[in-house]
Amino acid sequence: MIHSFIALLPDKCTSCMLCVRECPAWCIHLDSHTEEVTDAGARRPKKINVLDSFDIDYSLCMYCGICVDVCPFDALEWDQHRALISDSRADLTLGITQLTSENDSAN
Amino acid sequence: MTAVMAMESVPVDTWHERVHQVKQRGFGFFDFLTAVDRNSFVEVVVHLVREDLSDSYLISTMLSNENLHIDSIETLFPGAGWHEREVGEMFGVKFEGNDMQKLLRHETLGLPPLRKNIVLSARVVTEWPGAAEPEIKQDGRKVGNPSRRRQRPPGAPESWLQQ
Ligand code: SF4
Ligand code: SF4
Repeated sequence: MIHSFIALLPDKCTSCMLCVRECPAWCIHLDSHTEEVTDAGARRPKKINVLDSFDIDYSLCMYCGICVDVCPFDALEWDQHRALISDSRADLTLGITQLTSENDSAN
Repeated sequence: MTAVMAMESVPVDTWHERVHQVKQRGFGFFDFLTAVDRNSFVEVVVHLVREDLSDSYLISTMLSNENLHIDSIETLFPGAGWHEREVGEMFGVKFEGNDMQKLLRHETLGLPPLRKNIVLSARVVTEWPGAAEPEIKQDGRKVGNPSRRRQRPPGAPESWLQQ
């Protein structure tokens, strides 16, 4: 496995913010909101976090892997996408769709 | 690697002499030279290893912040010259006898970045993304009732973060 990319598994992410806070490069940005859901049979609705956006700025990421290590829900993992090439810095910030490992367009 | 490691702290004026003695006692392999910012002083450290790797020797000395000068040991270990230049660039230590050419940083770049009293400007001008919560948007807008106390970025001194 080449450690060349951090992939996000959005269904596992609970928006706990741990990776964002531990990233030494401050290059992860996350937005989320809370929603109330009622489980079948539960008396009261509970609050859950819903992920709105998750971006990694690969112009700053130094591939230290701390985010992968700290995620308590295994929502981040190493992936072997190729290194990104672009002449625009904005292109190096990837969002949820591009960070999802099944998506091969993020090469 | 090595099994035993002797450690010794020496006064700065005996630095070169002591490193020479330890080398002659069989610690002929130069491993590394570096520095540690201890706030009130700078500690310079050299690690020497026996050539059969059976044990090693760590020698350190303290430099006062007002006088960051020390003798170069480049004549004893040519490889140390590179490490001394790096320590010079990063901690502002001047090694007497080394030409102290810059390795990585441009001549005109200011203060040595690994000193703890140097403010890392990127930390001051960048907004920390970790302050966002489900109830606090990235732009600082609050929705709902965020309960927890405000988070602070780990490792960045409070004094850098006051706006
Ligand atoms: S690999 Fe390191 S620098 Fe990159 S996003 Fe993760 S924690 Fe940040
Ligand atoms: S640490 Fe994991 S679960 Fe928490 S916000 Fe980051 S990716 Fe999501």
